[in-house]
Amino acid sequence: MVNLSGDEKNAVHGLWSKVKVDEVGGEALGRLLVVYPWTRRFFESFGDLSTADAVMNNPKVKAHGSKVLNSFGDGLSHLDNLKGTYAKLSELHCDKLHVDPENFRLLGNVLVVVLARHFGKEFTPDLQAAYQKVVAGVANALAHRYH
Amino acid sequence: MLSAQERAHIAQVWDLIAGHEAPFGAELLLRLFAVYPNTKTYFKHLGDCPDEVLLLNHGQRMLEAVGVAVRHVDNLRAALSPLADLHAHVLRVDPTNFPLLIQCFQVVLASHLQDEFTVEMQAAWDKFLTGIAVVLTEKYR
Repeated sequence: MVNLSGDEKNAVHGLWSKVKVDEVGGEALGRLLVVYPWTRRFFESFGDLSTADAVMNNPKVKAHGSKVLNSFGDGLSHLDNLKGTYAKLSELHCDKLHVDPENFRLLGNVLVVVLARHFGKEFTPDLQAAYQKVVAGVANALAHRYH
Repeated sequence: MLSAQERAHIAQVWDLIAGHEAPFGAELLLRLFAVYPNTKTYFKHLGDCPDEVLLLNHGQRMLEAVGVAVRHVDNLRAALSPLADLHAHVLRVDPTNFPLLIQCFQVVLASHLQDEFTVEMQAAWDKFLTGIAVVLTEKYR
């Protein structure tokens, strides 16, 4: 569960309505793979990830990033029940994909940086604080069914 | 180990920060305290609701230290030795806090540089700032 005030929820949704989810998703995943190159271990089937340019322009990265961020958007509509919302995805990431949950935290942080990049001054400290709570909540929900 | 390109990205970004250490540092601290309130326990000397002057002063000090690191990127250990001593014997900031500060640093960079904040710059600065954190906590035990 995420502990957001009414104002924080409004601010989060307000910003999200302006986010180009497909673009931002691809950018966030791409930046994760470049800034933390060890995360490429999960994407060996994606083709060329050898340079920053290759990663950022890779169509599979963009497609997957978009998928991930659309799922994140789903979470935003269910902030009071993130664990329920992500239960199946949590099982998938543990049992089939074998992804260390630390990666969810890394991606969440990169997403926050990408939002800051797009929104500039509008991404105030308070808005950052709200989004960091959300990404932490999503990461915890995705880790919840691990065993 | 920073490559020549990584050093170029570090210098490029620093050129945009130099001269603005105080406001940059103040915003960094504001974000740190807003996002990670537990970190305020290390800054009691700034007071409960740090005023702008205190934040600007302390922010400037922190960013000037980053400037030292930029100028001595090949020899961080020597250049930051007094700061490392300070952190090990006086400040004793738990090492888990440095990534929190680095996250806020990236957010300040991203929100100010926006389109100019390339993925290569983000990668270089993450590596560089992490390197600084390693040096600052190396003498802890």
